[in-house]
Amino acid sequence: MKLGWQNWFQEKRFAAHWDRAKEAAQSTPMADYYSAPVQADQLLNDAPLIALDFESDGLEEDAQLLEAGWVAVEGGAVKLNSARRLRIRAESRLQGSAVIIHRITDDAAAEGQSEQDVLLALLADLKGAAILAHAAFIEQSFLNAACLRCFGVPFVGRFICTMQLEERWFPRERTADGLRLGKLRAQYGLPYYRAHDGLTDAMACAELFLVQCARRRTENLLLEDVLMRG
Amino acid sequence: MEIDEVIAFLGQHAPFDALSVDVINALARRIEVRYFPREAMIIDAGKENHALGIVRSGAVELRLGGTELNHRLGEGGVFGYPSLLHHERTRNQVIAHEDSLIYQLPKPDFLALLDSHETLRGFFAKDEAERLRLAVEGLRRSETGHGEAAMIGVKLGSLMRRNEVVTAGPGDSISDAAKLMARADVSTLPLTEKGGLVGIITDKDLRRRVLGQDVPLDKPVSRVMTPDPITMSLDDDLLSAMLVMSQHNIHHLPIVNESDEIVGVVSSSDLLNRFGMNALQVVAEIKAAGDAAAVARAARRVDGVLAHLIESGVDADHVARFVSNIGEATHRQLLKLGEEQLGPPPVPYALVVFGSLARQEQAGGSDQDNGFILDDSYDAQTHGAYFERLATFLCDGLNSAGYIYCPGDIMATNDKWRQPLAVWKERYRGWIDNPDPENVLNTTIFFDMRRVAGEEILVDSLREHIFAWSSANRIFLSFIARAAAHTKVPLGFFRNFLLQHDEKEGDVLDLKHQAIAPVVDIARVYALALGLSEVNSEERLKKAAELGEISDEAVSDIVDSFEFIRSVRFRHQSGQIKRGEAPTNNLSPALLSRFEREHLKDAFRVIRDHMDIVSRKYAGNIQ
Repeated sequence: MKLGWQNWFQEKRFAAHWDRAKEAAQSTPMADYYSAPVQADQLLNDAPLIALDFESDGLEEDAQLLEAGWVAVEGGAVKLNSARRLRIRAESRLQGSAVIIHRITDDAAAEGQSEQDVLLALLADLKGAAILAHAAFIEQSFLNAACLRCFGVPFVGRFICTMQLEERWFPRERTADGLRLGKLRAQYGLPYYRAHDGLTDAMACAELFLVQCARRRTENLLLEDVLMRG
Repeated sequence: MEIDEVIAFLGQHAPFDALSVDVINALARRIEVRYFPREAMIIDAGKENHALGIVRSGAVELRLGGTELNHRLGEGGVFGYPSLLHHERTRNQVIAHEDSLIYQLPKPDFLALLDSHETLRGFFAKDEAERLRLAVEGLRRSETGHGEAAMIGVKLGSLMRRNEVVTAGPGDSISDAAKLMARADVSTLPLTEKGGLVGIITDKDLRRRVLGQDVPLDKPVSRVMTPDPITMSLDDDLLSAMLVMSQHNIHHLPIVNESDEIVGVVSSSDLLNRFGMNALQVVAEIKAAGDAAAVARAARRVDGVLAHLIESGVDADHVARFVSNIGEATHRQLLKLGEEQLGPPPVPYALVVFGSLARQEQAGGSDQDNGFILDDSYDAQTHGAYFERLATFLCDGLNSAGYIYCPGDIMATNDKWRQPLAVWKERYRGWIDNPDPENVLNTTIFFDMRRVAGEEILVDSLREHIFAWSSANRIFLSFIARAAAHTKVPLGFFRNFLLQHDEKEGDVLDLKHQAIAPVVDIARVYALALGLSEVNSEERLKKAAELGEISDEAVSDIVDSFEFIRSVRFRHQSGQIKRGEAPTNNLSPALLSRFEREHLKDAFRVIRDHMDIVSRKYAGNIQ
């Protein structure tokens, strides 16, 4: 395989990060999450995936998380019985513009659970699973920041980024916003979603991923073939 | 927590839209979402099926097992439930017609949902039959295929309750036969000789033909039996049996096997019990009616029958035949009552009907088209008054029974259509020998003619002449063919939809004139060109195929299209009837489902193609 050395290098780096985080997680609530590593060389169809989306009041690492939505993808199917959408209680006043985009008001956010409780519920589902997101580096950085905040432990996991996958598998000239989730879905004839609640976005991303895998027309894809790179 | 997008979608599509938000929400959580690129197999035939499919986006194609018939389902369409309902392997293949996002509801969840929601049970039972009805022509004819619906393809064999048939011989005494019937608790006794069926006797015969007429009980039963009764075989289906019963107003059908041995008797109540169908009852009521008002009361129930038949999943051809049988019975009974009132006819005559009733293709909301063919011994001076009064009795009665007066005045009350045979012959001769475009359009209805009552020989004689003249006259044929090709089939169904403007209903698709008439016209051209005695359009086309004038494939295409168009019309009418409206043939395109639109488009294309063929074949030399 052409990218063999790259995969190998990435695996080495991932293993090092994982081991370090696992070490740090000992006797913290995250220890359980680190007890189940996800093998990159398993068949994609066999690999448990969780499509995840956070709603937040900003994109910086210290942004306030408002909501987490996630749903499992197994064997090429989005399993709605696993769908979760949890509101996170706001610690500080929301920033105005984010409120409008996400349709989450101070009042609604106040009804949520603590960030720690939401993270624990999420981590339980993420255990042993790879994480699927559109622009996954954002979810990655949010998760890492939140875990450090709540448990003092970094978050290390396997990520699949549907935005990166689109560029990698189906490169073409695009407009500036051509890789946005809504645009890509429309391009593939997927239904229009009102969007911008965590669960709807997670589902939207999961469905896009099903389309990408079907269009790739490759039998027996491995998890490592779709993992986020770089 | 609610899965908003899924709930919103289900809430907009039948049958889920009838469920409460809580139930939909719970349902949404059981769904698995899968994606199938175009041409991917979603369900393979002959496999276990594990889930109900719901088209979230895209479109799928159902390929009915063992046939060439396809059905397309768009957004919101549901599929894959027959195998779940009956716990059997799938019969149909389902293929993604476009890239499709499919919601799958696992079998246990689907069945649990049905258990607790009666409305859903009704939907899935009915929708299944509806789909099969669309494919019914193909299914009925293919040897291996039989429908999954309750009605269609159910063989008489499955209804037989008794393994041992009680029979007697024609030479046995009436008394012995009656005792045997009492002992065996049967209402019908087949009479056999050397294993073969020679007659049948029923409870009613004993009452009417024996006790009612003081026939001595020691006489042989053959004296009062119905000889050579109509029989059917174990492989005939229930609908055909019901049709025969309603046509002949009989209530018992002996069933025979391949070697003509009697194996059982099916009664109309067996069929009624099975289907709760009232078509037979309406015919029986009409025949028992003692005056015109009672005939009208019974005949007006035809709308209810139509709606009921459609709901029971009966195909359009059978519905039309039942509706026609009721129409025919109405004509006959009125004439019978008229004769009772006015005395026997002074000269032989026949009542003929024209148009859809003649073709046995009647739908709801039909007007009357009829005439009297009088024997040539008719003398206007002496006999005129009688037939005028009889015609008035008939046509008034028909009008009260819901068959409104013919707007074109094609009725026996019109002097023009109450004439001796010789005049009728002259008239047809004139239409055939001196055709002109206007004439042709106005007279085609007369070439769909059938005797409903009276002297058969009068009608046969007229028909023979018509065929001899028409099939020999190429110019006449070319006029008829051109008239047929003139009909505007609304081919550009989506884009440049040719809508007829209707005062009451706005821009509508006129199913009768734009979609059904072209097929009738095509069939009539063949009938006239080949001198076919068949009047029913489907029978005409099949006969034309038998004679090699048209290919079998072409006929089966046209017949399927015809069936589909008529099923759309009947469904439309059944909806109107249930809303308490009078049935019409005008359909607003907005009322059509995407599925119906797609198939109508296909059907129109088939019809247009065949109109061109007919036009090339017969209308050629006088363009």
